[in-house]
Amino acid sequence: MHLTKEEERIYDGEFGWANQICMKILVRLGELFNATKLIPISSAHVSGVSYKTLGDAPIDFLEAIANAGVKTSVKATLNPHGIDKEYLCKKLSSDICKKQWQILEYFNKMGFKNSLTCTPYYLEKLERGAHLAWAESSAVVYANSVIGAWTNREGGPSALAAAIIGKTPDYGVHKAENRQPKVLVNVETSLRNETEFGALGIFLGKILEDKIPVIQGLQGASQDHLKQLGASLASTGMVNMFYRNNRKVKVNELEKISVAKEDIRRAMEELTTTATQKPDLIFIGCPHCSLREIRQIADCIGTRKVKAETELWICTSRFIKEKAWKYTEKIEQSGAHIITDTCAVVAWTDKLRIKTIMTNSAKTAHYAPTLSKAETTLMPLKDCLETAFKG
Amino acid sequence: MQPITLKGRRIVEGQCKAEALVSKKPISFLGGVDPADGKIIEKGHELRGECVKDKVLCFPHGHGSTVGSYVLYSLAKKNLAPKAIINQTADPVVVVGAIIANIPMIDQIDIKQIETGDLVEVNACKGIVKILKRRES
Repeated sequence: MHLTKEEERIYDGEFGWANQICMKILVRLGELFNATKLIPISSAHVSGVSYKTLGDAPIDFLEAIANAGVKTSVKATLNPHGIDKEYLCKKLSSDICKKQWQILEYFNKMGFKNSLTCTPYYLEKLERGAHLAWAESSAVVYANSVIGAWTNREGGPSALAAAIIGKTPDYGVHKAENRQPKVLVNVETSLRNETEFGALGIFLGKILEDKIPVIQGLQGASQDHLKQLGASLASTGMVNMFYRNNRKVKVNELEKISVAKEDIRRAMEELTTTATQKPDLIFIGCPHCSLREIRQIADCIGTRKVKAETELWICTSRFIKEKAWKYTEKIEQSGAHIITDTCAVVAWTDKLRIKTIMTNSAKTAHYAPTLSKAETTLMPLKDCLETAFKG
Repeated sequence: MQPITLKGRRIVEGQCKAEALVSKKPISFLGGVDPADGKIIEKGHELRGECVKDKVLCFPHGHGSTVGSYVLYSLAKKNLAPKAIINQTADPVVVVGAIIANIPMIDQIDIKQIETGDLVEVNACKGIVKILKRRES
């Protein structure tokens, strides 16, 4: 790998241990994937912030690197962590909360912003073609496919190193030749709601391996639909992007896959593991809700009230909550909880005795049985809300 | 015996001489190795209960969460880390872990040549693993 003079000095340790470690991570990963150079990035997004998913092991490293005095050199954002200050914090043990605040403090010391969201693309407008180093697989697919920015699927530590150095090795989808589609997917049924888009992602992720698809039949899909599709595509697969139709590709050179109504139905069915009509939690907001989704939820709720003993969480970022205050106030009046900084996947739902989760998110339905030890029901938003009002 | 020399690719430099611990299956450090005592805890794993401390740990490749990299750092801080890591194919999780924990590491080695209990010498700078002595049966 070719390094500039300055990169070499960092690599040799002239700027201290922590900078050297970060540079080493980038260079060795680059070598592993045959990159020939590092390229500048406009932002980094780090996953592995929740104490629930991290455990104690990383605290030592984060402490050491934060105390070494290194600082982020580009805009650097954080994925959701395990608690929310206003609501969940009061329900969890102080020991858990203390550890979580400690982890956050180390990130802040390095200069990370407390974005605490899996949707960093809502925080500010991203340039098409900008190079990023993002972890959080759902955001990676969204950035590559919907926004047209370029990022590999980073791991937590490599995104951290990229945030400090401000660069990433030039491999994978940072190179135009690796962004070429290999498969033509024809969706033969019209998808009716966000949940069916999610189910399509789960289905395709399992069969695509690392082959980038052009997906035909997504007419009328909103950005929120595509967000669901990408999030679930990344949950079951390795592919980091998809194209929609209307792309100038030589269609006859591509492998072809058809998706029938039955495939979507079966994927939905497999993501439902319980038939209960009284789930312990109804959860909307994986990935975190957009402003438009918050408005849609407020409109759908109207003046109705969530039934007593029904727990309804709407998860979003602090940023969107503030922007959507007109709607969030209305939603909270219904008895639903607007929860920021976390979500049902990275929060300790099991410690809150939540054993059944109803959600409109195929990604959550895919992960909850293993990560949260919960049974799941996958339903579109409207049905989730109806259940909350029926009790 | 005549030492057997295997040649691979340097990932993290360093040298050591120690006993090999060989796994035919991949290892996930997050959830698969206990950071408190260095023992392999993954359910159904062939090396379950074995401790990685001071071993030349040989396995095909890593798998699982990228948080696994931090587990290697944590082990090293408690002096529970392996002396070296030998992989068939290096993957990002293990590579990053070996870098931050400063554990000598080589990949592109045919690990089937090495058996648990063999005395091996690792020269990661040159990408060389030497089997000095076979396990006494």
